[in-house]
Amino acid sequence: MRLTIDGVACEAEAGEFVKAVAERAGITIPSICHHSALPGLAACRLCLVEATPAGKRTEVVTSCVYPVSEGLQVVTMSERIQRLRRTVLKLLICRAPAAEGRLAEYCQEYGVQNNFTPPDPDEKCILCGLCVKACEELGPAAIATVMRGVDKQIQSAFAEAPTDCIGCSSCAKVCPTGKISCTDDGESRVIWGKRFHLEKCPVCGRPFATSEELAWLTHRQVGESLDLTLCPSCRAQQAAKQSVRG
Amino acid sequence: MAEVALRQLLVCCGTGCLANDARAVADALETALQDANLDISVERGSVELKRTGCNGFCERGPIVKIHPDDVSYYRVKPEHAESIVASIGAEPYKPLLFRGDDKQPVTRQVDNPFYAHQTKIALRNIGQIDPLNIDDYLQAGGYLALQKALLMPTDEIIAAVVASGLRGRGGAGFPTGIKWRSANSYPSLPRYVVCNGDEGDPGAFMDRSILEGDPHSVIEGLAIAALAVGAEQGFLYIRDEYGLAVKNVAAALQAAADCGYLGDDICGSGRKLSLEIVRGGGAFVCGESTALMSSIEGYVGEPRAKYIRSVERGLWGQPTVLNNVETLANVPYIITFGGAEYAKVGTAGSKGTKVFSLVGKVKRSGLVEVPMGVTLRSLIYDVGGGIAQDRPFKAIQTGGPSGGCLPESLLDLEVDFESLLEHHAMVGSGGMIVMDDRSCMVEVAHYYVDFLCGESCGKCTPCREGLRHMRDILAGICAGHGQPSDIDELEELAFCLQEAALCALGKTAANPVLSTLRYFREEFEAHLNEQRCPAGVCPSLTVMQVDSEACTACGACFKACPVGAVHQLAAVGAAAAVDEHQAGNDKKADKPRYEVDVMACTACGSCREACRFEAVKAVKKEAVCA
Repeated sequence: MRLTIDGVACEAEAGEFVKAVAERAGITIPSICHHSALPGLAACRLCLVEATPAGKRTEVVTSCVYPVSEGLQVVTMSERIQRLRRTVLKLLICRAPAAEGRLAEYCQEYGVQNNFTPPDPDEKCILCGLCVKACEELGPAAIATVMRGVDKQIQSAFAEAPTDCIGCSSCAKVCPTGKISCTDDGESRVIWGKRFHLEKCPVCGRPFATSEELAWLTHRQVGESLDLTLCPSCRAQQAAKQSVRG
Repeated sequence: MAEVALRQLLVCCGTGCLANDARAVADALETALQDANLDISVERGSVELKRTGCNGFCERGPIVKIHPDDVSYYRVKPEHAESIVASIGAEPYKPLLFRGDDKQPVTRQVDNPFYAHQTKIALRNIGQIDPLNIDDYLQAGGYLALQKALLMPTDEIIAAVVASGLRGRGGAGFPTGIKWRSANSYPSLPRYVVCNGDEGDPGAFMDRSILEGDPHSVIEGLAIAALAVGAEQGFLYIRDEYGLAVKNVAAALQAAADCGYLGDDICGSGRKLSLEIVRGGGAFVCGESTALMSSIEGYVGEPRAKYIRSVERGLWGQPTVLNNVETLANVPYIITFGGAEYAKVGTAGSKGTKVFSLVGKVKRSGLVEVPMGVTLRSLIYDVGGGIAQDRPFKAIQTGGPSGGCLPESLLDLEVDFESLLEHHAMVGSGGMIVMDDRSCMVEVAHYYVDFLCGESCGKCTPCREGLRHMRDILAGICAGHGQPSDIDELEELAFCLQEAALCALGKTAANPVLSTLRYFREEFEAHLNEQRCPAGVCPSLTVMQVDSEACTACGACFKACPVGAVHQLAAVGAAAAVDEHQAGNDKKADKPRYEVDVMACTACGSCREACRFEAVKAVKKEAVCA
């Protein structure tokens, strides 16, 4: 189906979302809670755009989860959208003044200053929920949002070192603000207050995954045909050699 | 079917009356009936006692009615049982009759002004039947609509509901028939029906009352919805705190299944429907349709973006119709009497009746069902009897936390979905909180925003963070350290919430602030610019003072003060008076005087409430303490 984003004609498949289509057309829409490998969360509200479906009225929508439709017209940078993004950024930077990554860049780009008093000046978490989503999709759902409203937090059960965490560090990798600390010392990894032993690749000798993660992958039968004892890089090399020989 | 007794003694056992010992009243009446039975059986006929659902006038409960004589007794206590039984078929027992402002006893419910202006459709059976006895519901015409619907083509059922103009009673007011039709248009199977009984607005209890007092009407409505959209499974999502509602609905589901109105072969038609109760997750946000469905599926009750509607992809990704309790209670009436008959009541865009919980500073508070289009003035003054203690009216808060506060100039507004929205309020679920001149509108806005801070799911930034900032700003204004930029800041945050929040609860969460800013801006300004709370409520800005001229030295304020801040001073007396002649003329001279210790006063207002002579006044704290 055909749609227009900022005047640019775009092609899209039914079921795609506006943000992905825009990015394919080279139009970037700011967002913090989005990761292309995970379903859209529509939580941070930065990817707001104005959408006008054919024959309908214009609405402000979150482009990460807004489905494309034939004849849809999208404006990503109107005065209204900029005003809303500025307020959202102001709220986010006040909540997480210590956040690393894109947030500070966006604030600069939109000329936003934090004029509220932050509840915690050292806070990094913007509660976007990406880590929880990643753990649900890739791991054992060892962390979750707890409480609600202004008291919401990301936590493991009872705020203790999570018993079912496999130490895969997906949560830390997707975290857009550097909130989740994950430290590897070559032998072991510490995350969520829990220490994991790191397995080394028999070929290159690099530590690459925790024993629990490998057990989890075997259990889930992800990559049944893969040799999970090798690190991803050596595994790829091996596969390449085999295909050349084959 | 049980033999119908000639007379019925209907004891209200709604939650309000139960809290006032209605169970003991019913037991006492039962005993009294048994004791009296011998000598009244011939002359006065046999009498049956029934424990019914809520009569709405909870403030005057427990309520006992004699049917069919139409005698209603209020504030009944167990010790009145014998007098009530003695009055059956005889002269009414006067001390328990309703008395209005004119103090004349009113026997019949239709003559009671609280009931006289009501039209009961959704509440038609409540207070008349025993919710635990399906025979009562059947005698009231129950399940006839379902039997009729079983013989109707799907399109005709939907057409009747469309023609009735029925709109969702849970808040959004979406046309029910259109919702059913669009769910029906998606080919995917299975489809589901859900009843939303997760009522959470402060002060609202209409869904509770219906679920407790007439659960079969909701079950029948849901069964008709299931027929209309081809669903074979449905859920009743009931707020966890509503224990009696859960109990009564569970019993009703069992009874309906036993009688063949639910199950694998409804009334021999071959149609199937199984209904089950899901107890709510204990969160206000679970009343939002998508959060409710997440909760049923076992996930955290958080809303999702509704770009794809639940009628297309709802529960487990399947077409789902979700209707509110009160909406469903209207459905059997519509099917029985036809859509056109229902549409005779109401306004052009909003048909039928609406149940409101009229609470706050009115003389008569409770649950009332009135035709759409009734004016706010009629609700407050005709049904509610006016403002308590005849104080001046200030505002009416409609529609719960998503609604707004309307001022006196809008009292003649005809209440329907459109008119309230036009004025930045909402019908919402039907809460109506009346406020008098002793309500501070900044404090009211703060109350609602604070409520929502705790009840926001916290998923999206504008709602979670925006509400927190709004709360802090409003708390600052109430405390007298607001900034001149606060009002602009509130408006900017409100704009962000309205436009950028994820769900309808977030989008409407700023309404209490916006409507108070719109209609009561001068109160915000008085707090900000003069550090003065015009209503005399905000404790940081207010202290109470006794006006010695108006004071009659009755001592009511002295007794009412919870912190001992009202001091009794020695009588002025002859010795204290400089001029002996003047003292002799002063009637108050030998009475004690009262004074409020401004340092101890918490401005709770108890003394002001207690004073019958307007002698206690709220004054600006700074002026006194300086």
